[in-house]
Amino acid sequence: MIRLEKVKTDPVETLKRHAEAIGEAVRQAIKPDRITVEYPRERRKYPECFRGFIVFDKEKCISCFRCAQICPANAIQMEYFENAYPGIDYAKCIFCHFCVDSCPTGALNTSKVHDVAFKAMEEMRLSTKQIAKLPEIVREEIQTVEYYVDRNTWKLVRKKELDSLEVPPKPVKVKERKASCIEPESCIGCRLCANVCPQNAIKVERLKATEEGGTGYILKVQTEQCTGCGLCVRQCPMQILRLEEVGE
Amino acid sequence: MIDVFQILNYFFGIFSSDMMDIPLIAPIVDYLMQIPLLNILVALILWKPFFAVVIMPGLVVLTLYLLYIVWYERKLTARVQWRVGPLEVARPIRGAIQALADGIRYFFQEAIVHREAHRPYYIQLPILAFIPVLLPILFIPAGSAVGIYTPYSIQLIVTFIALIPITIVAIGWASNSRFAYIGSVREAFMYFAYEVPFIIAVISMVFLYGSGDAYVAVEKQSAIPGALLNPIAFIVYIIAMLMATSRLPFEIPEADQEIAFGPFVEYSGILFGLVMVLAYEKLYIMTLLFTILFLGGWSGIYCPLLGDLNGPLWLFIKSIVVISILVIVRSIYARYRLDQALRIGWTSMLTLSIIALIIGGAVGVWLS
Repeated sequence: MIRLEKVKTDPVETLKRHAEAIGEAVRQAIKPDRITVEYPRERRKYPECFRGFIVFDKEKCISCFRCAQICPANAIQMEYFENAYPGIDYAKCIFCHFCVDSCPTGALNTSKVHDVAFKAMEEMRLSTKQIAKLPEIVREEIQTVEYYVDRNTWKLVRKKELDSLEVPPKPVKVKERKASCIEPESCIGCRLCANVCPQNAIKVERLKATEEGGTGYILKVQTEQCTGCGLCVRQCPMQILRLEEVGE
Repeated sequence: MIDVFQILNYFFGIFSSDMMDIPLIAPIVDYLMQIPLLNILVALILWKPFFAVVIMPGLVVLTLYLLYIVWYERKLTARVQWRVGPLEVARPIRGAIQALADGIRYFFQEAIVHREAHRPYYIQLPILAFIPVLLPILFIPAGSAVGIYTPYSIQLIVTFIALIPITIVAIGWASNSRFAYIGSVREAFMYFAYEVPFIIAVISMVFLYGSGDAYVAVEKQSAIPGALLNPIAFIVYIIAMLMATSRLPFEIPEADQEIAFGPFVEYSGILFGLVMVLAYEKLYIMTLLFTILFLGGWSGIYCPLLGDLNGPLWLFIKSIVVISILVIVRSIYARYRLDQALRIGWTSMLTLSIIALIIGGAVGVWLS
């Protein structure tokens, strides 16, 4: 049988805790530690890694389709004019920014804009031209709030100047990759890779069939022209092309 | 026509014989007193009994206090809990007129009377509840301004305070719903738990001053305030005040999270507005009595410009300060269970109040 006994309390300890609780309440009443940001009237200074509206730089884009391929929500459609460029459907976008991370040239960049309003679902499907610049938003805030939170300090600093919502382009995280053939002897000489290559970097040369059993074709990838877009890798029916990381 | 003037002159004579003397506004009053018919109105407003009951510390100041305390309590609790609190109504003054806005909304909202309610009582009782809440103002003196002077004012105030829970229990009964029923039963339990120590604490102070006259009480506190003369009664009174006004450690009858405002759960519209402020008004009355008994009442630094207004003003300022300190308890402590609160009421508080009674008798002999 379990007997419940009354919890013994030390009256001095109890009084101390009461005083502690009252002191804390008074301290919070005088100078609260609250971290509320009154958002439309003031805006938090977001970090550079903030995942907001995605801005596209057409000059840097190499039409490699990696953003469209990696998008888990299938929100990126490529549009064809001059070349293939991405357009983003914000009705689908989950702001994972896999596209920004996977972009080999840094053509897609994040921004600190997170409060764009659309009037209809159709308007949320943004074309390449619309994501090439920051959208027009009405900024109501009069000050910027900056958080300083670490193990010891815990404070908000409010400043009068407004934060710029643009984020400077960051160095590309993705290592440069080039196409290369890992099993030249299996090449069937279909030339799909050479046809699909936007840079015409792959040359197919016919050789005499050797005694080892090669098919008689050899691929020459001109590395200075290859942008590492990976289209040839997807096209190859024998799956003998790989993108291999080069450089740092 | 002559009769009417005679009657008016008769009243004017009564009013002007006992007027508040406030040097600050004396030129304006002198000017207004020369205008016929308006002078009788000015004399009425400044007539001491009328001023005490209707202006200060009476109904007008009570209304201002209600507007202030509802906002202040919400704001203070919000600050302690890292929230912002009411803000969007009148943003430049941080939502200070939120209570006024709520009041106006209650006023134009439909007051629903549900089918199971005892209709006449359900509608009447919130209004009837104001009789015991507002009658003590008649007997609370503030300096020279007093509604009805009586040497038994403290006992009378306590009597009317003791009547308030009866109306609340009746409200719960008239609502005829299960939450209201539970709430009114809890209110009845709490009523007995705090009322006995509360009355004994007040009686100990009456013993101490040797009189139930508020003037005598304030006069005897001219050197040492009553809180130091009888600290045990001071503590008992504070705890009883928290219990009586359903403030948070003892917010048992109205427990929002359990029984959704208890006896008042069915009310809506202006009737809800009336019952919601009941506890705040009770707090105001009890704090006025508290100030008179323990904090030296209306005595304070005398400002010659204010003249007779000094008494009511000091009483009001002291009460507001006490209430403002008391409401922070809401954000510190969690709610007791009913049995815990009853145990506190019937054991420790009862013991403390009896000790306070002995101290009161002893100090009373020493003072006299």
